[in-house]
Amino acid sequence: MTPRLLHVQSRRQLGTFAGLIALCLILWAATPHFLTVSNLLNVLEQTAINAVVAVGMTFVIISGGIDLSVGSILALSGIALGSALQAGVPVPVAIALALAVGLACGLVNGVLVTFGRLPPFIATLGMMSVARGAALMLAEGRPISGFDDGFRMLATGRVLMLPAPAITAGLIYAVAHFVLGHTVFGRAAYAIGGNEEAARLSGVAVRYHKTAIYGVAGLMSAAAAVILTARLNSAQPTAGTMYELDAIAATVIGGTSLLGGEGTIMGALIGALIMGVLRNGLNLLDVSSFFQQVVIGVVIIGAVLVDMSLKRHRR
Amino acid sequence: MSRLANVLVVGLAMLGLAAGCNRGSSTESGAAPKVAFVMKTLNHPFFLDMQRGAEEAAGREGIQLVVQAAEREIDVEKQMQIIENLLQTGIRALIVTPSGSREIASAIAKANRGAVPVIVVDTRVDPKAAADNKLQIASFIGSDNYEGGRLAGEYLAKSTGGKARVAILEGIPGHETGDSRLRGFREALQQHPGMTIVASQPANWERDLGFTVFQNMLQAHADIDALFACSDLMALGAVEAIAAAGRSGGIRVVGFDALDDARKMIEAGRMEASVAQSPRDMGRIAVESAARLLRGQAVAAEQKVPIALVTKSGTAGSH
Amino acid sequence: MNDTTPLLQMRGICKQYPGIQALNEAALEVRAGEVHALLGENGAGKSTLMKILSGAVRRDAGDVFLNGEPVDLGDPNRARQLGISTIYQELSLVPHLTVAENIFLGKAPTRWPGVLDWPRMRREATRILSGLGVSLDPDARVRSLRLAQQQMVEVARALADEARILVMDEPTSSLSEREIAQLFGAIRRLTARGVAVVYISHRMEEVFRIGQRVTVLRDGRHVATGDIADVSVPQLVRLMANRDVSEHYPRRSHARGEELLRVEGLGSGSLRDVSFVLRRGEILGIAGLVGAGRTRLARAIAGADRIDRGRIVIRGKTIRIGSPADAARARIAFLPEDRKQQGLVLGLAVERNVALSHLRALSRFGVMDRRTERREAQQAIVDLRIRTQGPEQTVVHLSGANQQKVVLAKWLAARADIFIFDEPTRGIDVAARHDIYLLMNRLVEQGAGIMMISSDLPEVLGMSDRVLVMRAGAVQAELSAAEATEAAVLQAALGLAS
Repeated sequence: MTPRLLHVQSRRQLGTFAGLIALCLILWAATPHFLTVSNLLNVLEQTAINAVVAVGMTFVIISGGIDLSVGSILALSGIALGSALQAGVPVPVAIALALAVGLACGLVNGVLVTFGRLPPFIATLGMMSVARGAALMLAEGRPISGFDDGFRMLATGRVLMLPAPAITAGLIYAVAHFVLGHTVFGRAAYAIGGNEEAARLSGVAVRYHKTAIYGVAGLMSAAAAVILTARLNSAQPTAGTMYELDAIAATVIGGTSLLGGEGTIMGALIGALIMGVLRNGLNLLDVSSFFQQVVIGVVIIGAVLVDMSLKRHRR
Repeated sequence: MSRLANVLVVGLAMLGLAAGCNRGSSTESGAAPKVAFVMKTLNHPFFLDMQRGAEEAAGREGIQLVVQAAEREIDVEKQMQIIENLLQTGIRALIVTPSGSREIASAIAKANRGAVPVIVVDTRVDPKAAADNKLQIASFIGSDNYEGGRLAGEYLAKSTGGKARVAILEGIPGHETGDSRLRGFREALQQHPGMTIVASQPANWERDLGFTVFQNMLQAHADIDALFACSDLMALGAVEAIAAAGRSGGIRVVGFDALDDARKMIEAGRMEASVAQSPRDMGRIAVESAARLLRGQAVAAEQKVPIALVTKSGTAGSH
Repeated sequence: MNDTTPLLQMRGICKQYPGIQALNEAALEVRAGEVHALLGENGAGKSTLMKILSGAVRRDAGDVFLNGEPVDLGDPNRARQLGISTIYQELSLVPHLTVAENIFLGKAPTRWPGVLDWPRMRREATRILSGLGVSLDPDARVRSLRLAQQQMVEVARALADEARILVMDEPTSSLSEREIAQLFGAIRRLTARGVAVVYISHRMEEVFRIGQRVTVLRDGRHVATGDIADVSVPQLVRLMANRDVSEHYPRRSHARGEELLRVEGLGSGSLRDVSFVLRRGEILGIAGLVGAGRTRLARAIAGADRIDRGRIVIRGKTIRIGSPADAARARIAFLPEDRKQQGLVLGLAVERNVALSHLRALSRFGVMDRRTERREAQQAIVDLRIRTQGPEQTVVHLSGANQQKVVLAKWLAARADIFIFDEPTRGIDVAARHDIYLLMNRLVEQGAGIMMISSDLPEVLGMSDRVLVMRAGAVQAELSAAEATEAAVLQAALGLAS
């Protein structure tokens, strides 16, 4: 990222980052259990799934859309993965199958939005139900469990102490950051979200890129499904329920505007970490699950309020 | 940037409040050993009763008890996160009612690795998952759900004279609890050839789904004589659907859990019976077992909590 | 009211935005019953001053007096209560409501609380409209009206607010000559009743037609105020630009080159059988009334609208244009009339907008060559004299002329040589227009061909080598520079035999 652009983008990102640091400091002061190596690794592992889903969501929201189907696609890809593993398909092939299922669902979303001209909200709302139903049908309502240790390494493995899910998420973030900032695809995402008509009239292949963006969201859901399935040692047709809202929350806390055209991948990471740290900290503090929901809601609203006021100041 | 500071201050205050609210139970006061009780949910009367029993026992045993649950009952992953997080706080024992009988294995394995004894309540861990992960479960405390289902089946067969068209509302598929109840109920009915099951659908343990699903069943099978719901919440929903269809009293409804609301319905004659578990006893026994483990005493690997059938004429036990 | 006390006085008004002193001791004095023209280049502070007057923006310093009384213009509602109404270029009507509903939006007469008094609302609406010399059905949906009629509804709404001061920002930019005459008629009726009109326009001839007095702003400062009868166009332009603008339309003549674009029998929507040729080195003016199909023609060639019939031959080869991407590949540049909605992604940096037209050329295997992207933008900024802090500045902060230059830069970087300008100078001030004209000349000198759609007749006549006059979706006449007189173009546009 060029220094000057970093300057503009990062002032807001810095705000979110400062929020994350402040949150950590508060928790450090409030409980001795927070700032320990094992707990921080714990947070990274727990955050990985939402963080990966949030990558896809960030692409979609930057392009001016929304994807409500990520949680359901996660479940369907997970069931595809679980069924394949149980049928004795080699692990890499099963994972490829799961990713293909997620990608395909995402592309269907994209086609409905671009060629079908459906509002993203409607198209993905439909997919949310279709994918969930398909997952339940395929699994006959029951979880598919019990996979071999080789596959489970994707969740239980450690490299230099770091949990495997965190490493996977880290790699995905590195790639997504590059794609959004340095490729034609990323440029198109921003342009489409900023002003779709201007992008189209400039010769940007809007429909192609938009379709692909929803494909990425589906693919990310599938990647999250792989981690989740390994972590739970089980693929559940009910997995990922309401994950779309967590992903949207992480994205907007990270400074991505729901109006499209702006946002960053690293913002989504910080947003996901804020949510992960918050949940972890509230557990450590033994806050009831009811009050946890209140706090998380307040943080989402607060983060967006701050973001908007910073934006106004810049005008 | 001052506005950012403001929001941070507010956030800080919220967290302080959050921490303060729960200070009473969570601070490391003295040498009281800390035990975590992770439930499926805290917005169900059954688990609230269990919590009450557990807290009463904790008071007697001098145990500092931490009770937590995920926002949604079916969110296995969140339950796992909660356990992981609590393991960070130096708990001495873990009591859990698994949201998923297989998925919970990974979390229990983590507790095992940290040498924290685990007591499982209400929902059994899938035996294969337990074996695969070489889990060490100090004790399972639960009522015999299979027996409860059988009890309900026998009762319905008797009260209908062995001839009825029966509908079933199932819980979330794949749950050991619901599956056992269902199995017990079906096997009891098999002894009576006159009892036919005309419909069996999941209503996910929820009251509103119980209403909707049973309403739909009535559309398809207007001649249903009796209903077995795997939980009272679903039964209570169905009772309303029966009233809405104008058939109050025409369909015999048997539930499970003997919730207060269900007992009232039984008194009013709108439900026939409910299988009573004793969640309060489960909670009590779980904490007492944890206390024994901490003292280095042995506990039985399996502790059955008695079940009974609640009807208008009274309570009939099975054990 | 005392005759010597001006209706409105704004004194020592200052407003600072991050990095820009938008207004620095600006002043304005308006008398009751006059049309007061407010002139200045873009960025001179006209719109900021008017935003302060309408309560949309708070001033940092300075005083505002109404009838000699100091007033606080806290917010738009307060300003409206004080009798100050503003009609912006982008009209602010609710399209699916009726004329009467729009006029009384937020202040509808009621019978009982919450129950609308429809008959009275219609009666009042009709009365106000006829007072303006317009007859409109009060029950017509606003979206079914022509732009000029919609504007009348806005004026009527201001009157329903009992406005004493009416600010009009470029009210004629998309009106035909007849509609302009009608609007001016309405303005004169208003001023006869003592309403003061602050009139912002870049069209000098209109200022002289309708205005009584004029105030010129430059760089956020008050430069001069005087009677329009006492000044000339060159004087005003000099005051605005602080330099002499050599000539209004920088004419040049060039040898026409080979054929660049040939359109044969084109049909698209309302277009019927349009045929013409564009050569290298020429500016082809496209004239006609609003609705004659000029923009449709531009959009069809640019791939924005579907082509139903006909053939497009570019550099001797028949090309199928199914999308803007096809047109871009054929090196056709489209500079739409509505730059903000269609030409630019306002939230993105200058360099990102410039790159948008040729992302593929700027990338290898999908990865952007950011160094070239940056270099192209920097070069364009120098070449086209785009006033910006740098390639990373977001275009939303640029003035209209500079935004237009960014759109142009985008297509120059894509090596386009067929340029379609739709209303190239709409909303751009006199001095900056000159810049755009010079750039157009430079393009044709370098062998490009330009199609220029414009409603500004002097502009069409001043800049074109040939003029195509359109009417009702078809080409009505093709005139050489010598044949193209104001009368000839108007005759053709109106469909009158010459």
